[in-house]
Amino acid sequence: MSVLVVQGLSKSFGGVQAVGDVSFAVAPGEMLALIGPNGAGKTTCFNMVGGQLRPDAGSVMLDGKPITGLGPRAIARHGVGRTFQITATFGSMTVRENVQMALLSHRQQIWQFWRPVAGRYVDEADALLARVGLEAQANRATGVLAYGDLKRLELAIALGNEPRLLLMDEPTAGMAPAERVGLMKLTRRLATERGVAVLFTEHDMDVVFDVSDRILVLNRGVLIAEGNGAAIRANPAVREIYLGTGATSGGH
Amino acid sequence: MDSIIPQLLTGLAGASSLFLVASGLTIIFGVTRIVNFSHGSLMMLGAYIGWSILTRLPRDPEWFVLGIIATVLATALIGVLLEMVVLRRVYRAPELFQLLATFGVVLILQDVTLWIWGPVELPLPRSRWLRGFVEIAGNRFPFYDLILIFVGPVVLGLLWLVMNRTRWGTLVRAATLDREMVAALGVDQRLLFTSVFALGAGLAGLGGVLSLPNSSANLHIDLSVITDAFVVVVVGGLGSLPGAFVASLLIGILQAFGIVLVPKITLVLVFLVMAVVLVFRPNGLMGRPQAEAREATVAAPVVRAAPRELRILGGIALLLAVAAPFFVGDYYLTVLTDACVAIVFAASLHFMMGPGGMASFGHAAWFGIGAYGAGLLAQWLGAPMPIGLLAAPISAGIVAALFGWFVVRLSGVYLSMLTLAFAQIVWAISFQWVEVTGGDNGLLGLWPPEWARDPSVYYWMALILSVAVALLLRRALYAPYGYALRAARDSVTRAQSIGLDVARLRMVALIIAGAACGLSGALFAYAKGGVFPTYISIPHSVEALLMVLLGGLQTMTGPIIGALVYTGLADILMRSTDLWRLVLGTVIVLLVVAFPEGIAGAARRLWLRGREA
Amino acid sequence: MLSVEGLNTHYGRAHILQGMQLRIGAGEVMVLLGRNGAGKSTTMKSIIGLVRPTSGRIFFDGQDIAGEEPHRIARRGLGYVPEDRRVFADLTVMENLEVGKQPAREGMRPWTPERLFELFPNLGRMRDRPGGRMSGGEQQMLTIARTLMGNPRLVLLDEPSEGLAPVIVEQMANAILALKDEGLTILLAEQNLHFAGGVADSATVVEKGRVVWSGSMAVLRADEAARTQYLAV
Repeated sequence: MSVLVVQGLSKSFGGVQAVGDVSFAVAPGEMLALIGPNGAGKTTCFNMVGGQLRPDAGSVMLDGKPITGLGPRAIARHGVGRTFQITATFGSMTVRENVQMALLSHRQQIWQFWRPVAGRYVDEADALLARVGLEAQANRATGVLAYGDLKRLELAIALGNEPRLLLMDEPTAGMAPAERVGLMKLTRRLATERGVAVLFTEHDMDVVFDVSDRILVLNRGVLIAEGNGAAIRANPAVREIYLGTGATSGGH
Repeated sequence: MDSIIPQLLTGLAGASSLFLVASGLTIIFGVTRIVNFSHGSLMMLGAYIGWSILTRLPRDPEWFVLGIIATVLATALIGVLLEMVVLRRVYRAPELFQLLATFGVVLILQDVTLWIWGPVELPLPRSRWLRGFVEIAGNRFPFYDLILIFVGPVVLGLLWLVMNRTRWGTLVRAATLDREMVAALGVDQRLLFTSVFALGAGLAGLGGVLSLPNSSANLHIDLSVITDAFVVVVVGGLGSLPGAFVASLLIGILQAFGIVLVPKITLVLVFLVMAVVLVFRPNGLMGRPQAEAREATVAAPVVRAAPRELRILGGIALLLAVAAPFFVGDYYLTVLTDACVAIVFAASLHFMMGPGGMASFGHAAWFGIGAYGAGLLAQWLGAPMPIGLLAAPISAGIVAALFGWFVVRLSGVYLSMLTLAFAQIVWAISFQWVEVTGGDNGLLGLWPPEWARDPSVYYWMALILSVAVALLLRRALYAPYGYALRAARDSVTRAQSIGLDVARLRMVALIIAGAACGLSGALFAYAKGGVFPTYISIPHSVEALLMVLLGGLQTMTGPIIGALVYTGLADILMRSTDLWRLVLGTVIVLLVVAFPEGIAGAARRLWLRGREA
Repeated sequence: MLSVEGLNTHYGRAHILQGMQLRIGAGEVMVLLGRNGAGKSTTMKSIIGLVRPTSGRIFFDGQDIAGEEPHRIARRGLGYVPEDRRVFADLTVMENLEVGKQPAREGMRPWTPERLFELFPNLGRMRDRPGGRMSGGEQQMLTIARTLMGNPRLVLLDEPSEGLAPVIVEQMANAILALKDEGLTILLAEQNLHFAGGVADSATVVEKGRVVWSGSMAVLRADEAARTQYLAV
C-alpha cells in the first residue's frame, strides 16, 4: 500500500494556475523525484503536501488518512518529515539539542517547565546523529557546521519524528557534487531500512538518475511524464522543455 | 446630525497631519530598517522652529508659506545631522539597539528643546486669514482646516511621483528591498540613506509647523505623535505610502468622532480598530510580509549554562545582597528594593524578548496592570498586601492572555509597535478614568502591613520574591518549554515541521512574562505607597528595554546585570543633574555605539575569546 | 587585470579566507571550484567590498581596492552577480535595470536595455513584469543583465547555474560565452564542473579558504589525480 496518495491536486494564484490536477503515489521505501523547469509548480506541489499551502482542489492521503488542508504542524504530527531548500535548524542550540527537540516534541514532552532538557534522550539523539555521521560533532554549535553537515543534521531532525514520509525540497542545492550523491545515498539507506517514503525535488541530474526509483516531470503545473530514469531520459518532450542537450549536465 | 459634516472635516484635517508624520516614518523604515522613535521629536522641533520663524515674520499668507518652507528645510537639516552623527554609526547594530539609540535621541531632544524654548507651551498668534471660515452645507467651517485637508493628498501625490517616476525613487524602492545589492551595483548608500532621512525629517517638520495654528508648540508632542504614527503605520502596513494614507484617514476620522461620541475611550476605540485590522490583515491594510533585511549572517551564539566562575560570583553577590540591611542606610535600602523590582521587570521582558523573540516596546503595561490590580483591590475591597501581591500577577497574566490572543501571530516590528500602542491605551485608561483609578493623582495609601513596614523587612521580602522569580524563569528556559520557545524563535518553519505549536508557545511566554512583570509592579507600588499613571509611561517601558539590552539578549544573566547597572546609573543621574534626560540619552547613544551586543554579551565574548562557541 | 594576494576574511570568529590568492588576465574566464563553505562566495564578496577583509590586498588595474566601499569598487568597473539571484522583487524588469545603470566607460560599447534583450530575449518580452513574478531562470538572467547595465569590465558571477533546469543552464553557458566574445573578463564560482568546463579558460580550486590547485582548464581536464583529490569527481 502507498504511504502517500495525491489525487487531483490543483492550486491557482490570482487566477493563474500553478498546479493543475496532479496525481501520484509513493510506496514505503521508495524514492520519487519530482523534476521540471523553474516555475513548473514543484514547490507549490510540495507545499500543498507539507501543509504550507491549502489546495484549491484534490486530496492528499497519508497512510490512508486524509491530511488535505491541514497545517504544517498537524501534518508533521501525522508523520511527515521535511528538509528545506534553505536549511532550517535551531541556530542557538548544539547539534545534539536540535535532535533532542525533535525527540521531545515527538513524545509530547514540550509542555514541561521544570526538568531540564540536558540529559533527556541523549542516547537516542546520539544514535540518530551516528546514523547520519555527525556523532563527533554532537556538542558543536549548529551555526559553525559545514553546509553539508547541516543538511545531514536536518535529516537527523526529520528522523526524530519517526516519519512515514520524507519531503526533501532540493536537498542537495548548494552542495559539492561528491557530497550530493553521498547525502542521497545515505537517504536511500535510511529510507530502505525504515520503510520511509521519500519525495524530493532536484536539479542535479546525476543525483536524480542515480538514486531515484521513479521520476515525475512537471511542466506548467501539469504532469507530462512519469517513469524510471531510462524512460525519462529518452522522452523527447522532457528533453525539449527540461533536460536540453545534456552538454552542461553530465551528458544526461 | 448637524455635527456630522463638520466633524468629518475635522477628522480629515487631523488625518492630513497624521499622514505627514506617518509617511516620513514609513519611508525611513523602508530604507534604513530603523523604527525611528525620534520621529515625533522631529515633528516637535518642526513646531518649535516654525513658531520661532513665523512669530518673527509678517502675518500675510505668502510669508506664512515662506516660513513653512524655511521650517521644513531646517528640520530636514536637523534630520541630516541626526543621521550623520548618530544613525550612521548604528546601521550595523541589531534592530532593537537602533531603536534604543533613537530613543536616546528623544531624551536628548526633550532637554534641548526645554533648554532653548522653556517649559511653557507656545501658541501661534493667528492672523485674520487663518481664523477665517468657509460655509459648507450650511455649516461654518474653519478655512485653515480645509487647507490641511488638501495638503495630505497633495503630499501623497508628490511622494508617489518621486518614488515611481525618478531614478532616486527607484533606487529608494530597490534599497528598501535589498540595500546591500544596491550598494554592490554602484549606488552610494550613505547618500541615499541621508537623503531619505532628510525627506522623512522634512515631512515631520511640515507636520509640526502645520499643526501650529490649531494647537501649539509643546513638549508633549514627541511621544503622543509617535504613538499615533505607530498606529497609523501598523494599520496601513509598514513601508506602504498609500497604506499610511488610508490608515490616516481611518484613524483621523475615528478620533474626530470618538472625541464627540465617546470622549473617555477614544484611544481604546482606536486600539480596537487596529486590533480588528490586524486580526484580518496581519501585515496591515496594504502591507506585505516583512522580508528580513539582508545582512551578512553571523551564527547565533549557542546558549549554554553559566560557567562555574559566574555562579560563584552570583552566589557572592546574593550573600552581599542578603547582608545589605546590616551595613547600608535607609536611602540605599530603597534603592536596593528598586533594584529587586527592576530585576523582575527586566527578567520578565527578557523572557519574552530573548528566548521568545518578541520585543515589547510597552512592557510597562504589565507593570501597571499588576500595580493597579493590587491597588484597586486594596482600595475597594481592603485586600491586604499578600492578596494584592497574588492578584497582581494573576490580573496581568489574564490581560496578557487576552492581548496575546491576537498579537502572537504577528511578526517582529508589528508586534513591537502594537505592544507600545497597547501600553498607551492602558496608560490612557489609568489617566482618564478618574473615578476608578484616581487619574493623575493615582491610588494612594497603599502601604505594607505592620510586619513588613520596616524597610529591611520589605527589602528582604522583595529580594526573596525577585530571586525566586528570576530562578523560576531561568528554570523554565532550560526545560523543554524554554527550548521549544527558543526553537520557535530560531526557525518557525523547522519548529512547525517537528510539530511545535508556535503560536501557543509564544502565547504562554507572553502570559508568563506579563504575570511576572505584574508582580514587580505590585512590589513597587507597596514600596512607594501608591500607584500612578507614570508607571505605564513610554519612558518606563523603554527603561525595561534598556535594562535588557544593556545586559544583552543572549545570556540569562544579562537582564539582571542590566537592571542593576541601570538602577545604579539612574540613581546617580537623577540626584546629580537637572539635565538627566540629556545625560541619559547621551549615555544610551554612546553605549549602543560602543556595545552593540550589550554589557553581558561583550563580557561573554571576552570570556570566550579563543574558545569555540 | 585583477589580482588577489594573501587575503584573509573573518565572519565573527570564523576564519573563512586564509591567504586566498588569484590572478586573472584581461578577457579571461576563470572558474573558482570548491565545495560549499570553501570560500568561493566570500572571495567574491571580499572583492566587491560587501565583506571587509581582515588583511591582504586586492589589485584591480594596479590599484589596491581592499577595504573600499562596495559602490566605489563597483564604479571602478567591477560587476557582481550574487549567488541567490536577489532581483528587486517589487521592481519591474526595466526598473531593475535602471538601478544597475552607471555611466558608459571609455573604449566600451555601453550596455542598453535593448542590447541586453538581444542577449536575453526572454527579458525583452516581460519589461514591465515585477522581478518577484519571474521564474528562477528569468531572475538569474535579470541579475546578470542588471549588473551589465553598470558597464563593468570584470564580472564576478556567483554560481549562476545553481537551482536551474538543465536546459536553462545551457542558455546561461551560451550567454557567458557571448560576454566573453565581447571582451569581458569573468570570474565564475561554480560547483557544476560540466558547466564550468564548457565556458572557463582556467580554474582555481579552493579548499578551506585557500587555493589548492590552479591552472588551465585543459590541464585540469587531463589531470585525473587532481580532479579526484580536490573535486571528488
